[in-house]
Amino acid sequence: MEMTEYPSRRDPKTVITAAAVVVVIIIAAAAVIMFNPFQQRTLTIYTYGSFMDWGDNNDTDFFGPFEEEYGVDVVIDRRADDANTLVAILEAEAANPIADVVIGIDNILILEEAAKSVLEPYTPTNLSLIDDSIVSALDPEHYVVPFDFGLVTIIYSMADMNTTTHPELANLTFADLADPAMARALVTEDPYLSSPGLAFLLTEIAVHEKLLGTDWIDWWSDVKNDIDIQPGWSEAWAAWYDSATKHMMVSYGTDPAYSAYYTQAEPDVGTAPIYFDGEHYAWMQVEGMGLVKNGPNPELAKLFIEYCLSPVVQKYVALNQWMFPANMNVELDSAFDYALRPDEVILLNELLGQAEIAENLASWKSEWNDIIRG
Amino acid sequence: MRNGSIVTHVVMALPLLLLVGFLVYPVLGVLILGLVVGPGSSFQDVMSSQVTHATLWFTFLQAAASTILAVVLGLPGAFLLARLEFKGKQAVRAAVILPFILPPIVVVVGFLRMFGSYGFVDSVAMALTGATESVVNFAAGVPGIVLAHAFYNIPLVILLVSASLERLDPDIEDTAELLGASGIQKLRRIVLPHVMPSLLGATILTFLFCFMSFPIVLALGQGRYMTLEVLIYYAFSSFDFGMTSSIAVIQILILMTLAIAYAAAMRSDKKDAGQTSFIKTVPIAELSWPRLLTGILYALLIGVIVVGPMIAVIDSAVFDPVTGQYTLKGFLHLLEVEGGLLPLTNSLFYATLATLFSVVVGIPLAYSLRSRSGLLSNSTSVMILLPLGVSSITIAYGLLRFIAVPTGWAANPWPLIIIAQTLIGVPFTARAIESSLRSIDPSLLDQADSLGASRLQKLFFVELPLLAPGILVGAAFAFAMAIGEMSATLFLRREQNVTLAVTIYENLGVRRFVEAGAASLLLLVVCFIAFLVIQRASESAFKGAI
Repeated sequence: MEMTEYPSRRDPKTVITAAAVVVVIIIAAAAVIMFNPFQQRTLTIYTYGSFMDWGDNNDTDFFGPFEEEYGVDVVIDRRADDANTLVAILEAEAANPIADVVIGIDNILILEEAAKSVLEPYTPTNLSLIDDSIVSALDPEHYVVPFDFGLVTIIYSMADMNTTTHPELANLTFADLADPAMARALVTEDPYLSSPGLAFLLTEIAVHEKLLGTDWIDWWSDVKNDIDIQPGWSEAWAAWYDSATKHMMVSYGTDPAYSAYYTQAEPDVGTAPIYFDGEHYAWMQVEGMGLVKNGPNPELAKLFIEYCLSPVVQKYVALNQWMFPANMNVELDSAFDYALRPDEVILLNELLGQAEIAENLASWKSEWNDIIRG
Repeated sequence: MRNGSIVTHVVMALPLLLLVGFLVYPVLGVLILGLVVGPGSSFQDVMSSQVTHATLWFTFLQAAASTILAVVLGLPGAFLLARLEFKGKQAVRAAVILPFILPPIVVVVGFLRMFGSYGFVDSVAMALTGATESVVNFAAGVPGIVLAHAFYNIPLVILLVSASLERLDPDIEDTAELLGASGIQKLRRIVLPHVMPSLLGATILTFLFCFMSFPIVLALGQGRYMTLEVLIYYAFSSFDFGMTSSIAVIQILILMTLAIAYAAAMRSDKKDAGQTSFIKTVPIAELSWPRLLTGILYALLIGVIVVGPMIAVIDSAVFDPVTGQYTLKGFLHLLEVEGGLLPLTNSLFYATLATLFSVVVGIPLAYSLRSRSGLLSNSTSVMILLPLGVSSITIAYGLLRFIAVPTGWAANPWPLIIIAQTLIGVPFTARAIESSLRSIDPSLLDQADSLGASRLQKLFFVELPLLAPGILVGAAFAFAMAIGEMSATLFLRREQNVTLAVTIYENLGVRRFVEAGAASLLLLVVCFIAFLVIQRASESAFKGAI
């Protein structure tokens, strides 16, 4: 080895000190930026990732008027992927709550003891704006009050199938879906991890136990080798869209409206609610908002919940959330003519009461798991 | 001298204390809370359940199958990368790691398009057989799961093993050839023993990743299969904390067994490091035809498995499935503050610091791993693997509940996000640096001593430059782990802490497909550049040493 060009060496201590100084400066700068001491009063709303994030409007449109009126910064913190995780986070933070209001706890999640344990019941002064049936379908005790609602149903891609090629779509039954060719074309979501997935499980249970009078277990045993069960709605949509063999998916009844609105044409998806004896049926998911127990600003939080029930916010729900606004006096965009509407179906929630669900949910889910993975 | 040894002890102990404080304490907290307070199933219930047994078996078998496939497919790549000399080698090495950073849902989409029914591979197969119906579907069931796990972990095998191969002493090879050893004999007697530690390390890491897999198993398994990690998420979302903790205990027991067995295997590998040297490389133009052909075929195979799903990412950045049109609005969205600039800044800030920290912490930990004390090396081995072998939701919940909330960091958790991302990088830096440590010729250190170098000078001018290849690989993976991290970030972050990986998932959740695609592409590009920079930096450090 040639030693003539031996490189000059800096003192390692200088290098270490310089590197340490740079790192400390970066972190300190970040700390100053992020812990801005001049922030005004904030009201923190915890909600799930996709909350009011589907459209062209933004949080300033929805909540700006409230911020101005009360001189407060409303932070919409899309804190978790799903509402179950929101509850777990609220539980973990219970000793020192950050959130004032939580939005997204639905009519099944509120049955969990954990959900009630992090909430304070509150009856907004303007609750009369919301139809009684929706309020009590969500929570008669008002731990949460409705923000929006939607119907969970099977949708199909019209490019692949329609009521001419598959006449059974007009009056779809679980028996139709048990046909291997149909079951292989259906994508649903995991009832443990996804609320539409859980709604579909409850649909299946309600239809079999309450309408057909048969054991709900059998249908899942019939289809378990053919049906595609994805962990969440996004994954299910990807499987439905990207697999040439999947034509039907468990989703929301507003999907045709979404399609019509964004393609500015006739929708390319149809809805196929479950049929029995002259009627169509669907499960209603009601998403609620509630006061966080021991939250930092309870009075302001109550005003915020009332504000959310008012038309100022509710008029944005349809096109930014693709659910029906809880306040039904709000006018809907004409695209919603294509949606599956509540007056077109009988709600399965009326057949399967909340008390019965609360009592059986854990065992239903674990029986479902035993069938699918057994 | 006395002074120096106190400093040494402090330097060695600090990383261990950090691991105890930010990893062992929150994890133990969650376990005890779940097992003692609950609510939910008892440990006995979970352990005696048929579901647990069946799930454990499936988790184990799919992880073993996936690991074998990843190693078999990755090893030739490691040899080619170390042995061949060709233009653009740095770029190839930086590109190899890219699959590692993609969020699972992006990989699933890529797999459906590449390997699903009527996907690319199926179309080729149908054309070849003249079939009109779908012939093959490698994007579903166990084959899909195993293939996707291979996709994720091939980079690990290729890069860890090739880093160690680069230190293969050419003199020994020459001597073996002179003595008439055949290619196979050379491989068995010289090359394999040399790469064994890094191969074992890559195998263990791959196995752990596959063992802990969760979204891939659910999505490609179409719901018919589950792993222990799925059971944990089920229990967690049903507020059955007894079950969450019980399964985490099973995971930890398995992890400890693996980590201790590995540490023991490493200690028994008493082979002295030979002279520090470089492998004999071959320019690609000098390869014989059959070898070149084999190499090309292998590159094609890896290309289909690894590059195919990545092409789907590029396509998804410009094609909007809702309107059925090509568009640039995904990229325009990236230019907005909330859409791209904030997530990018956060991602780079967190991942850069996390990488830096995991290297700084990884160096003393590598020395602890090499310690002659079985207790020290075993406990280090277990602790550094803990973040990979215990459910990420357990760690994330523990950090929130036992550190963020009591300290008030929950309101602004960015330091904790960096810590969480550091924790998952440490297994890579510590392991990679440790395997580089093995190939340092002790006589070099003695020479430095006799020339009167201080401990710090020795570390800086002799050891660190020699460790550069290990630091390089470790840092690259630490960066990849940090920037791709989802679970802890999703759980800890507030609105202002959104990262690129999180934004991809959120965009997909609201049908902003091109926005998600563009963010995925940006993630790939940023990582590619980062890996090139890391390579450059470590190579110049290394050249400075010799």
